[in-house]
Amino acid sequence: MAVGRGDAAGGPPAGGAAGPAGAAELRPPGGRLPPGPTCRVDFSRPLDFRFLGRPMTGFGGDTVASALYANGVRIFSRSLKYHRPRGLYGMEGESSNTLMEIDGVPNECAETIWLRAGMSVRAQNVRGDPRTDRFAFIDAFDRLMPAGFQYRLFHRPYRLWPRFQNGLRRMAGTGVLDLWRNPDRAVPVGRGTARDPGVGARGAAGQGSGVRAEGAAGQDSRGQAERYLNTDVAVIGGGPAGMAAALAAAESALRVCLFERRGWLGGHLAWRVRECEGEPLYQRAERLAARLPAGKTALPTNAAPGIVKVFTNSPVTGVWGENLVTGFTVGGEDDPFRECHWECRAKAVVVAQGCMERPLLFSHNDRPGVMQAGAAWRLARTHAVSPGNDAVFSVAEDLGLEAALDLADLGVNVRAVADAREAGRQDPELVAALEERGVPFLSGWAASRAIGRKRVTGCELRSLRGPESRRLPCDLLVANAGTQPRVGALATAGARLAYCSHTHTFQPAELPGGVFAAGSLTGLRDPRAIQASGRLAGYRAAEWCGGAVPGIVPARRECESLPGPEPGCDIRHGPDIGRGAKAFVDLDEDGTYKNVRESSAQGFDVPELAKRFGGFGLGPGQYRVTGQNLAMIMADLRGDPLEAASPTTVRPPLVAPSLATLAGPNHEVHKRTPLHAELAARGAVFRQAGPWLRARYFGNDPRTGPATADHGLRDEILNVRRNVGILDSSPLGKFRIFGPDALNALQRVYISDMRTARHGRCRYSAMCNDMGHLIDDGVVVGDGDGDYYFTTSSGRAGSTVEWFRYHTRYDGWDYNLVNLTDVLGSLNIAGPNARRVLQKVTGNDVSNEAFPYLACRRIVVGDGVQARCLRLGFVGELSFELHAPSSCLQYLWDLLMEAGAGLGIQPFGLEAQYCLRAEKGHVVIGAESEARVTLTDIGMGWLWDREDTVSGKVGAPALLACEKQAGRMKLVGFRVEEAPGSYRDGVGPDGGRMGAPRDGAVVVDGGEIVGHVCTTRRSDTLGWRYGMALVREEVAVKGGKILLREEEAPGRRVTRSATVVSPPFYDPAGERLRA
Amino acid sequence: MTFRLTCPVCGKRDLYEFTFGGQDRGPRPEQEGLSADEHFRWVQFRMIPGGMGAGEDAGPRAGGQGQLQHEWWYHGQGCGVWFRTTRDPATNREVKDGGGEG
Repeated sequence: MAVGRGDAAGGPPAGGAAGPAGAAELRPPGGRLPPGPTCRVDFSRPLDFRFLGRPMTGFGGDTVASALYANGVRIFSRSLKYHRPRGLYGMEGESSNTLMEIDGVPNECAETIWLRAGMSVRAQNVRGDPRTDRFAFIDAFDRLMPAGFQYRLFHRPYRLWPRFQNGLRRMAGTGVLDLWRNPDRAVPVGRGTARDPGVGARGAAGQGSGVRAEGAAGQDSRGQAERYLNTDVAVIGGGPAGMAAALAAAESALRVCLFERRGWLGGHLAWRVRECEGEPLYQRAERLAARLPAGKTALPTNAAPGIVKVFTNSPVTGVWGENLVTGFTVGGEDDPFRECHWECRAKAVVVAQGCMERPLLFSHNDRPGVMQAGAAWRLARTHAVSPGNDAVFSVAEDLGLEAALDLADLGVNVRAVADAREAGRQDPELVAALEERGVPFLSGWAASRAIGRKRVTGCELRSLRGPESRRLPCDLLVANAGTQPRVGALATAGARLAYCSHTHTFQPAELPGGVFAAGSLTGLRDPRAIQASGRLAGYRAAEWCGGAVPGIVPARRECESLPGPEPGCDIRHGPDIGRGAKAFVDLDEDGTYKNVRESSAQGFDVPELAKRFGGFGLGPGQYRVTGQNLAMIMADLRGDPLEAASPTTVRPPLVAPSLATLAGPNHEVHKRTPLHAELAARGAVFRQAGPWLRARYFGNDPRTGPATADHGLRDEILNVRRNVGILDSSPLGKFRIFGPDALNALQRVYISDMRTARHGRCRYSAMCNDMGHLIDDGVVVGDGDGDYYFTTSSGRAGSTVEWFRYHTRYDGWDYNLVNLTDVLGSLNIAGPNARRVLQKVTGNDVSNEAFPYLACRRIVVGDGVQARCLRLGFVGELSFELHAPSSCLQYLWDLLMEAGAGLGIQPFGLEAQYCLRAEKGHVVIGAESEARVTLTDIGMGWLWDREDTVSGKVGAPALLACEKQAGRMKLVGFRVEEAPGSYRDGVGPDGGRMGAPRDGAVVVDGGEIVGHVCTTRRSDTLGWRYGMALVREEVAVKGGKILLREEEAPGRRVTRSATVVSPPFYDPAGERLRA
Repeated sequence: MTFRLTCPVCGKRDLYEFTFGGQDRGPRPEQEGLSADEHFRWVQFRMIPGGMGAGEDAGPRAGGQGQLQHEWWYHGQGCGVWFRTTRDPATNREVKDGGGEG
């Protein structure tokens, strides 16, 4: 049987019709049913995998769960609290029973993951084999674990709590994440570890055939992707209603995106062989699907002028404001991604997600062998796996009867069918057919308990009205209490849900604008009515998008002429539920009927409270399996009518994508400076600083020998002080502002009087925010005639335009602001020899007289490169900063390196710059300034033009208010007292430069914390340890003693005494930068 | 959550492209004669339209049910314009000046 595209490594089958082609010559292997027309399994593609190290074989088109079931696995996991055996309950990934560890990734949903060759599957929350779990005894102690026990027990004495907590965590839970596992690093075949037999096993699997050797990659090496879609109509659900809606909307020449969770279209019709209008239902679905483009490429359909794009294997995670539909696509074998997150902005949304089954509550309703009708049916019809030999059905609607009939036809011995509805409410055709096959049919009956310790071996059926009961042996108990609509997408879209006393389900009562519901989730059961409702919803969505839609009137008439929603069944639980200690409302969290009653008795008597207290619906299945039952039971317990019941809030994601998918594909986004390749070749070690990748230091230059203990920092620093260093400072923010109001704008955002920014002079100033905190500093150069050039710190370059425009937004000023940061590169040469280097490469006079400190000149360098040269002194030496076009920067670098060859020129990095500037007491924003201190607190109040009260300087009023405030923190310098000989040069991983106390150490005074260390280093230039600290005002006394304390390692405190001194520590008179 | 905004230059765009600039509190007050308290309130205090209570006082509880919020947005991932818009904080939707969804 050909499904999909013959992918070697398994993976999801592509959309498209199933068919019996080629099935005849392939006999199904042992344990499999003969493939019928709805079978999606390709027996010509065997896939070897391992479960707990045991070799097993599945086929292309199998999910992990169906392959395990076909190989006789019945116990898939152990439950969260009680360690009860759990088996295959559904096929839609809506309970945590079948969460498994697959290829080392925990909590993978075996029900929906396609089998691949070489997979290694392990059970979760199990000690040993799930069949003989060592913690299984816990089930006998359920009385010790009433609802919310974890909130009430173990809390006293408090010091014992961590022990209880750790013990509970060891025994309960789902998968365990291996934080050290790198999914992108392929494990070499055959080099498995003892812990993961599956890895070694893939080597053996590779011997089989070329196909499987290829599949032996096992772990998917593809990454994640993301897409941002834009469409007119988004259709959620590819069943009959969804397909009809997509086709109808496309008639109006609209763009339509259809999202289907499964690997194919057709919804619940895809496995039904019952005939409707003389045609099997699965064929009806195939006929509709054939009108939609197969695969994922956008093609116009033959009937519709619009474009329908079909996304299979694409669960929707939520519908958000203004009809943004989010979800993810699981990659097929020819997709370049493993999972792709997408967001689809739609004008209108049609939700046609269909129904799911509502669990029937009875004793031991969680035993392996108890299954949803749809799961048993799909195992047989979709995966050609017999769900059991002897089956008993306890259902509450016609689909369940149809499933029983179909399974009987497929050779399952159906011992009895109980229907919770009264006689006469069933489809007579189905009842007659059951009787014709001799299947006992009991209306008004339901299952009351499952028998069997680890698996179902029998069951007890009881009448809902009388005392009669029957015990039947069986290995499959198909049970449900009817269906409930899948309202997840509607609920996240903002639909209000209300109990409907006709269908006995929570139905969407009010829909937000542009959201339409269709199909069986509205209670419809007749396939023609479902399809017609989809068509109507498609037309209404098209109408919402604008324009008249003529089809809407006949479509509405057709819907009215077809059967409406069918009456549902309001059964809450099976007969004779008793205390309900083993009747599970929530399989994920082991929440029983008894627990719900306990919650209610303790006052947590509405679903939202019970959910938090007892954990109902908190598990991976969320509201889905639990939701409606919980709401109905709690209404009963309160004595409220069901109309007053409300289910718990539905929260996205409706289906869980992997965390890697949410994290997205691009984690390292950065900009490179024009000199990146040059710096890298010189052994630079880079770090990300803001958006930039910058060179930290050059200690690892392979050409200059092995890396020294301090990465060569000492040499970089001393070379700047003694000779000359060169720094790539290209990330520095560089801007031009011009226009009649340019000065006004500068006066607004800079704290100094910017009228002093004269031609040829660098005016150093700072920007504050409204609270008076220092946020940026740099220099402003007047270029004449309302034209200014200014620099910002590299971290602020990206938000400077926003900042200027924000603070002038009410003024209507006329100025232009140009961000030149990327266009201009920047090089800094600093050190006593800087002038001699520069003079060699330019004809302009750069002598101290012609080019004094803080001057700015335009000079021509080398073969005519126009550069703006600023004479600054951030690192405390004679220094020139050259701003030139980025494309010329490499040329300038080569020129300067050549000119400085005899003068000791060496590159230095960010780390050296950080140390050099700290020796000068220059602040770095974020290190010495923070949100508690203003400009004046850090000793830079001299920049503030306090006379100016008319420019509206940002931060000026705050500075005024804080100036006289008592109890503020101040920035001080300090010198650490070291015992002679305590410092050994070059010792330790950082060459003794750092060591305790480090940046961030606390300043203590009499046992009280009075501040913290911003930066501290042991200076190679000075020969002593210095630093800057933010301390309380009363401690900030020059000459005073402070204590620096740091917990170097847990329990090991280091305390050092230091003296408060005034920065700068190096060259206090500033002679070197003016030299 | 993920609503859209109408940039006066670029039209309706996803929220991702914008930066919030706070409520429209009018131009910054004249610094001359501005008390520290007045400045503090202008910098720190916000109305809560659609929140509890109502009143002229610009305290944190001011505002009232169904009130709209005038606010500033910056189209940073687009044209770089600061613009004013009006939203209903209860639904997050932009509203036109005369009411109704924008």
